[in-house]
Amino acid sequence: MRQASIVGQCAADDAACSRRHPLQPLAIGSHFHPDVSAEISGSATPNLVLQSADPSVLAVEGGALVAKQSGASAVLISTEDGAVVDFQHLWVAPVTAVTLAKRDGDRIGGAIGLAVGEDVTLVPALWNNAQRLAGDPDAEWRVSAEGPIAILRDGSSDRRRLKARVPGKATVTVAIAGIEASVDVEVVP
Amino acid sequence: MNRIALAIALALAAGCNPTLSAQSLAPPGRAARLDANEGFWGIQSYRLELSRGIAIAVTCNHGGPCSKLRVTSDDPAIAEVHDASFGVMQPNGGSAYPTNQATATAFVVVGKAPGVTKLHVNTDDGGRTVYVTIAPPPAKALPTTAAR
Repeated sequence: MRQASIVGQCAADDAACSRRHPLQPLAIGSHFHPDVSAEISGSATPNLVLQSADPSVLAVEGGALVAKQSGASAVLISTEDGAVVDFQHLWVAPVTAVTLAKRDGDRIGGAIGLAVGEDVTLVPALWNNAQRLAGDPDAEWRVSAEGPIAILRDGSSDRRRLKARVPGKATVTVAIAGIEASVDVEVVP
Repeated sequence: MNRIALAIALALAAGCNPTLSAQSLAPPGRAARLDANEGFWGIQSYRLELSRGIAIAVTCNHGGPCSKLRVTSDDPAIAEVHDASFGVMQPNGGSAYPTNQATATAFVVVGKAPGVTKLHVNTDDGGRTVYVTIAPPPAKALPTTAAR
């Protein structure tokens, strides 16, 4: 109906977040925090609510979209009194691979070297074969050796900041939906 | 003679009923299709094929946007109906007053569960019945089969 749109909540300069557009399928188990807007002739944007056509595939919980199982579901964008102003069909897919990228979107292809005191922020990317998936997953981070690297939260559910503390080597691993990705980190003086 | 008069009256009544038009695309691999069941005297009813979890927007027209549109579903657990605000203007004055326009009148149907049911579209200008079939999501197709 071309009156409203759903995009992800992210800063304009956040390259990793800007890829989390729901034009990509949402990863099963992930949350998508939508930013809904409407452009209606002769009217400012009314109060809008989201409603899923098939909550077994894609649920609306506390304003977020939660991907439950593979499939497609319409998400209705309605006024508070129930008039649908638009809808969008969104897809949900399983995660088949996880990769790591820097915050600017640059994919991590090998080991990372850091000097003591430096830090780097890593973001896991979710894939269904060759297709990148959207959504914020619940990620579990761990490091093979506590000494050289500290893994710091930065407020995101999946993103982490690696802080180089003392010289040494460690392997950092992220696990999402039972699938892991790792990167070797060397800290030098 | 009475039968001919009755047939003409029914035909005129059918011609006075509103027409429905789909206004949204079916997503890939899913059904969202509205067709008219036409008889000798014109459109008798409509049939709507929709996949579970899919929505379709439909406008109602009767020489202009339908007035006092009311749409009900016999089984909302199979097909849910929502009022829609479709922000486009459509001609509303007929040939005598061609410059007048009104906001399009629309509703959205959502496929909730596989099955069949009916929608009843009522307006000040008459009504229509829509026979609805909600299909389950397709199984993975064999590469030797193509169906639409």
